[in-house]
Amino acid sequence: MKIVVAIKQVPERDAPIHIAADGRWIEEGDLNYTINEPDAYALEEALQLKEKQGDAEVVVVSAGPERVQSTLREALAKGADRAIHIECDDLSTRDTLGVAQVLAETIKAESPDLILTGLQSDDLGLGQTGVVLAELLGIPHATIILQVEFSGAGLKVKRELEDGWFQHVEMPLPALLTIQSGGNKLRYATLMGIKKAKTKELKTVLAAEASAAATISMERVYLPEKQKKTEMLTGSPQEIAAKIVEKLKFEVRVI
Amino acid sequence: MIAGGLPSTATTRFFPGAFLLSNQQNIGTYGTLAEPGPLSAPEKIVLGLGILLAAALFLWRFRPILRNILRSKKDPGFKLSPLGPRIWDFFWEVLCQGKVIRQRPLPGLAHAFVFWGFLAFALVTLNHVATGFGIGFLSPYSLIGRFYFYFAAIWAVLVAVSITGLFIRRFFVRPVWLGRKVSYESGVIALLIFLLMVTYLGAFFVASGSTEVRLLWWAHILTLLAFLPLIPHTKHLHLVLSPVTVFLKNDGYSKIPPLTGDEDFGLVTGKDVTQLISLQTYSCVECGRCTEHCPAANTGKLLNPKEIVLGIRTYLNEFGPASEVPLLTESRIASPDNPPERYLSMEAAFECTTCGSCEFQCPVGIQHLPVIVGLRRGVTNTGVWEDTYGTKLFLALEKNGNALGLSSTERDKFLQRQAFPIFDGTQEYCLWLGCMGGYDPKGREIIADFARVMQYLGTSFGVLKKEKCTGDPARRLGNDLVFQTLAESGLKNFETAKVKKIVAICPHCVRTIATDWREFGIAPEIEHHSEFMARYKDRLPKQQGEKIVYHDPCYLGRYQDVYEEPRAVVEQAGTLVEAPRSRERSFCCGAGGGLAFLGEEKGERVSHVRARELAGTGAQVVGTACPFCNTMFRDALTAVSEAPPQLLDIAQLTARALPASQPSQGPHHSPVTGGAQ
Repeated sequence: MKIVVAIKQVPERDAPIHIAADGRWIEEGDLNYTINEPDAYALEEALQLKEKQGDAEVVVVSAGPERVQSTLREALAKGADRAIHIECDDLSTRDTLGVAQVLAETIKAESPDLILTGLQSDDLGLGQTGVVLAELLGIPHATIILQVEFSGAGLKVKRELEDGWFQHVEMPLPALLTIQSGGNKLRYATLMGIKKAKTKELKTVLAAEASAAATISMERVYLPEKQKKTEMLTGSPQEIAAKIVEKLKFEVRVI
Repeated sequence: MIAGGLPSTATTRFFPGAFLLSNQQNIGTYGTLAEPGPLSAPEKIVLGLGILLAAALFLWRFRPILRNILRSKKDPGFKLSPLGPRIWDFFWEVLCQGKVIRQRPLPGLAHAFVFWGFLAFALVTLNHVATGFGIGFLSPYSLIGRFYFYFAAIWAVLVAVSITGLFIRRFFVRPVWLGRKVSYESGVIALLIFLLMVTYLGAFFVASGSTEVRLLWWAHILTLLAFLPLIPHTKHLHLVLSPVTVFLKNDGYSKIPPLTGDEDFGLVTGKDVTQLISLQTYSCVECGRCTEHCPAANTGKLLNPKEIVLGIRTYLNEFGPASEVPLLTESRIASPDNPPERYLSMEAAFECTTCGSCEFQCPVGIQHLPVIVGLRRGVTNTGVWEDTYGTKLFLALEKNGNALGLSSTERDKFLQRQAFPIFDGTQEYCLWLGCMGGYDPKGREIIADFARVMQYLGTSFGVLKKEKCTGDPARRLGNDLVFQTLAESGLKNFETAKVKKIVAICPHCVRTIATDWREFGIAPEIEHHSEFMARYKDRLPKQQGEKIVYHDPCYLGRYQDVYEEPRAVVEQAGTLVEAPRSRERSFCCGAGGGLAFLGEEKGERVSHVRARELAGTGAQVVGTACPFCNTMFRDALTAVSEAPPQLLDIAQLTARALPASQPSQGPHHSPVTGGAQ
């Protein structure tokens, strides 16, 4: 059993973001990077499946510049067996198809039984890379997964739906799952893990001239503009109440 | 030189190799120690064989212990020098019995009398055996001999009385700390000691060469020979080992040794038990002082520091120092001669607040904290310890760099609100906020008030733009990866900012930066705000009236020996009241050792026990000097008291009397005029 976990490295959650001089991307120099949180849960799921399964290999894959190696090392320290770094400096100019193509090429060569990845990234939050990747590899996928278990030759997974509903799905292997945060408890990196990780393989491959997938051209990135609008409702109490109900129903859409 | 006549019964004795030539007189009369006269050849053979047998039995039991100690792992970085403190500890703790007496005066003194009596008896015993072979060197008839035997007789009386007292204490008073199980062997030992003294004293009342003295002489030597093989058994080994243990113990209090090599993760198996730990566990005298003062053991938790020490000893006896059996297991290592309690369980190891009372109290030089923290390291560094709260804490430290798990921007906002100057190298002090000062609402109040005190005193200070936890909770919970990462980044942070002097409100931060970080580099000079304020105590406003009970934080008192400074500050702010257990006997608030961040306690809450004591003094204010103590007592005081006393840090106690309007805050403001100049 071979499980591949696709990981993205993202800026730390509370990192102060600055826009680059050309206004087309963020200033990357003074940022601290970390593992994308849903990917951390994907890794945790893979490690737990390995622990249950016994003879499984967990391979972590990440595309990006050299800095992503620190995140891969951390994954090795937590228990992954092997890491592949796909060197690629132009991720920000690729759309999800472009990124998925970069990943697909390497992952295909590994011919894994199961591919796990976070359901979306903390930075861009597009939520498509995993799904597109499954399509490119020609394998079935399921999204927003909270629980995974092996059942016979396939899988039984628990998907999160809306309004507190869950869907239980059985699917064949090989497959790709995008993992939701919070399904498991993350483990902490240990000294022993870090020392063991030193002896584990971290292979760097070059992203092949990714297929002529349409790359995106960034026009402008900007920080969310904070605005506070206060509107005073006037009238009799009944009128005010009616207006509030209307706003809650149609503007805020909470009732 | 023979002054008196020679009674016919007396035999003229020849003393080959005698140091003190005899001045034989009044032989056969009472008034000095009677001598048995020459032994017959068969008697000598019996004596010789008896000694050989006793020595053989002693070695038979002692050798495996010695082997276990010697075969344990060498202590990395152990250095004998500097000898000064070692000699002092030996003099004070062993020869003067300083700790033994000070922490338990009555039984301590009784023990000291027995110990000193034994020392006085060394010469008597040697002479006793020598006499049996006809080579006695101390004659009861020489001036020196007569003096010495009387001197020893005084000790014999003291020892006899003391051992009787200790016997009564152990078997009739039965303090719980000695253990629920009565040790009958101790009774036998006490009886033997008593017999030794009685048979010695008896010889003053019988005639030399008489059958009675012969019998007394034999009774004395046989008692001694029976005593010898008992020594290497269980706690009586401390007679032989504890002087060595006290002399060799590691320098520094609660010293966590650096990990060495790629295979060292702390105390994982017997292979990780060092020679010093091994020696210490075999020296344990099972007096239970550690347990008596342990906040966990006193509030219904599984942890009992004595059992941790004995657990390692049991492990070494059963598995030996080369074993790969894990030290910490969920269930205790079972063995026939141990009651079914869990000695070395993971649960117990993680109930320790690292308050250090045990290590402070131990009269035989056992250093509990390196062992308990070592056991934690063994399971945390290898990922065996799975605890929801512990994991959450480590992830928070990894990700956010503070133990509270808040975003570092929270600290930035606080700095902005307070308009704290950023340290730029021109100010005298770097004011260290710590996790509590930077993120906790009450800790922030303390920092703000202390900043006001500094401003009032005209001391320039700045705060670091970014600050991460010192790693204290990670260190005490045994996570070396997180601790090392934080220590290294902290050292770099100070270096970049060119910090020379630091002042902090948290004793945990002070201890960790000053002592624990040393493994990775030398941090700038750091002091606790109590030390800072005490230096200027005459310039602090004098307040009248209110009774303030001061609680000694473990990490300030026992860990750093700072007792007077916070008291000086409190005395300036009101009338100081001492807590029931204060100074080096202070009872923990329950927060240390990372426990503030772990889940609900088993049994009674440590903080409630202490809060009850503090409230019980009737003081209007509880004065603290540690933000963790403060946070623990905040809830505890309300829980245990209908009308709880006010709870204030020493910085707040001082700041409340400062004039309301403060000069504009800034790095270079001028000292307040008028104030306490």
